[in-house]
Amino acid sequence: MRWLTLYARSRHAPASLAVVLISALAVWALARTGDGKPWSGWLPVLVLVAGAAAVSVGLGGQDPALERTAAIRWMPRRVAHVLLGGVLIGAVLLAVQTMDGQQTSPALVLRNSAGLMGLVAVGAACWGRQYAWTLPCVWLAFSMVVPPSTDVVTQVLTWMLLPSGTAVGTWTALVLAAAGTAAHAAVGVGGGGVRR
Amino acid sequence: MNPRIARIELRRSAAPWTGAVVLAAALVFLCLIPGPWSTGSALWTAQWTSMAMWTRHMLVFLWPLAVGLGALQGLRDRRSKMTELLAGTPRPAWHRAAVQAGTTAFTLVSAFALLLLVGAVLVLAGDASYFHLGWLPISLVGALGLGAGAVFGMGAARAMPSILTPPALAVAALMVTNFLRHHRSSDAEVPLALVPNPVALLAPTVAEVHETLLTLSAPVHLGQTVWLLGMAATGVALLAAAGPRARLLALTPLVVGGVFALLLFPAGPRDTYVVDREAAAQVCDGPVCVTTVRQARLDGMAGPAKEALRLLSGALGERAPVGVRETTALRALSATPERPRDAVLVDFDDGALAGARGERLTRFLIGQGIVPLCSPRSRTESGTWEDAAAQSIAAAWVLGEQPRPLGGTMISAKGQAETSGPVWKRFSALPRAEQRERIDAAHTAALSCKGDALTELNGGALR
Repeated sequence: MRWLTLYARSRHAPASLAVVLISALAVWALARTGDGKPWSGWLPVLVLVAGAAAVSVGLGGQDPALERTAAIRWMPRRVAHVLLGGVLIGAVLLAVQTMDGQQTSPALVLRNSAGLMGLVAVGAACWGRQYAWTLPCVWLAFSMVVPPSTDVVTQVLTWMLLPSGTAVGTWTALVLAAAGTAAHAAVGVGGGGVRR
Repeated sequence: MNPRIARIELRRSAAPWTGAVVLAAALVFLCLIPGPWSTGSALWTAQWTSMAMWTRHMLVFLWPLAVGLGALQGLRDRRSKMTELLAGTPRPAWHRAAVQAGTTAFTLVSAFALLLLVGAVLVLAGDASYFHLGWLPISLVGALGLGAGAVFGMGAARAMPSILTPPALAVAALMVTNFLRHHRSSDAEVPLALVPNPVALLAPTVAEVHETLLTLSAPVHLGQTVWLLGMAATGVALLAAAGPRARLLALTPLVVGGVFALLLFPAGPRDTYVVDREAAAQVCDGPVCVTTVRQARLDGMAGPAKEALRLLSGALGERAPVGVRETTALRALSATPERPRDAVLVDFDDGALAGARGERLTRFLIGQGIVPLCSPRSRTESGTWEDAAAQSIAAAWVLGEQPRPLGGTMISAKGQAETSGPVWKRFSALPRAEQRERIDAAHTAALSCKGDALTELNGGALR
């Protein structure tokens, strides 16, 4: 238990959790002040991206080099961290939406949380935790500008915004989730030159 | 600013990376990803204004990125655990703030300038014939927006030093640019925003380009410049501020700039996106006119168009149009295009016209002259099967050949052939005089948009 508490603290868990909740509630409030169909389109995805970005700062600790020397098997812990993060952001979105009496399809939430956590894990493994948020943010921004199309490349680019059940979207999310989790489990956090 | 320190800062900080990431993201987007910026008459390198507007539009994702990466830069001292050391140096805080903010803003502005340079080279290599400097303010405000966003991000991260600040700022910026975006809609001729127009203009992005004649009006540039300068000033002040009171005071330029900008911004979207009069001026070769923007098309068009007019006057008699001219009227998405009696009106957004040259152009103009479109055809509007079929039948009748489907539209050639085939079979079996009557009826129906041209060609009932 003591280990868990210390781990959560070193991973900014309370602050991340607060940001996840606040961003979901903020978007919820904004959507309510808007017009008729509040949760349509990209708002649920935005909540998930904000959540993934907030959780991503906890993918590494203060000093990765020091942590690496600990006689602990990091791999399963890192995998569990990524999975739990995904569960958390999905659950917060669904909970906030239930308050409003409407719901994005759980399949879509599952797909996007998995894919987005995979993305931040890739980012953390490549550049370190402080840069991990850039990937999902840029990808979401990209996909909001690309016009929807049935073209496969476009579908891969806009996987976050595709309706649930679209094969290309599901596969992209799966690949991202698997690759991200694996990369993070194997490498931890990367970022040679910029790690401080 | 000490040039030596600035050089070291440029070499040792992440500022060059910030610029490189922004430039790469924009170039990948514009050059590799297919979209409205890469096809049609409003592609990003078609005209100077289109180039400036598309690169400005890219701020939808570049600006949040700049704000977030700026915030990462602002956290640098804290990450290096040297804030106390720096607080102990006798050098004034604003010296360091100026160097840090200056280099980041400099690299971002340079990245945007390089993007514009690539665009400019491509525009020069293309067939843009309308040279003007009216696009420059659009891009200058865009560059200022990137720099101001990054500096503001740095200041905000210094005021709220948490590892969560950069992602939170970036997501918030993403939300702002997307909520405040102008979109083309079926409600108005110019792009509309979901929020009141002056508020929407606080975001440094612009709507996507669907009409090359549109540009931004001067009050918009002025207001955005004031607002962004205020934002940058607040960023620098926050970077140098020591205590809570100084931080609060640092917000003054942001608020003042915002208020002034809101007062300067035009109230409605019609005063925001305005027609560039010089660009819309008509250039004519006899009866054939195009806008100055598309002057390059005039030479290739004049011959086929005169031929089409000659054939049309033979076919329609005194009711035939006497000129060909490019439309300059703005219209809402899916709204009925104008259909004058005396001229064949062409719109280069129509894919069937955009790729047509020589004989194919003549055929298109004859079809358009007899059956002017009631539902528009463009990159985003498909037009109707019936109009496409009726146009190909009308052209075939005038030219005395079998109907050929129009190319470059969303309606497939096979679909057009299936629609026009049976009608042509019955129509071509009729005596010449009756054919002529039906063509007249189709022309009348298309001009008034009452009834349907293909139905008239088929003798009153389709199928």
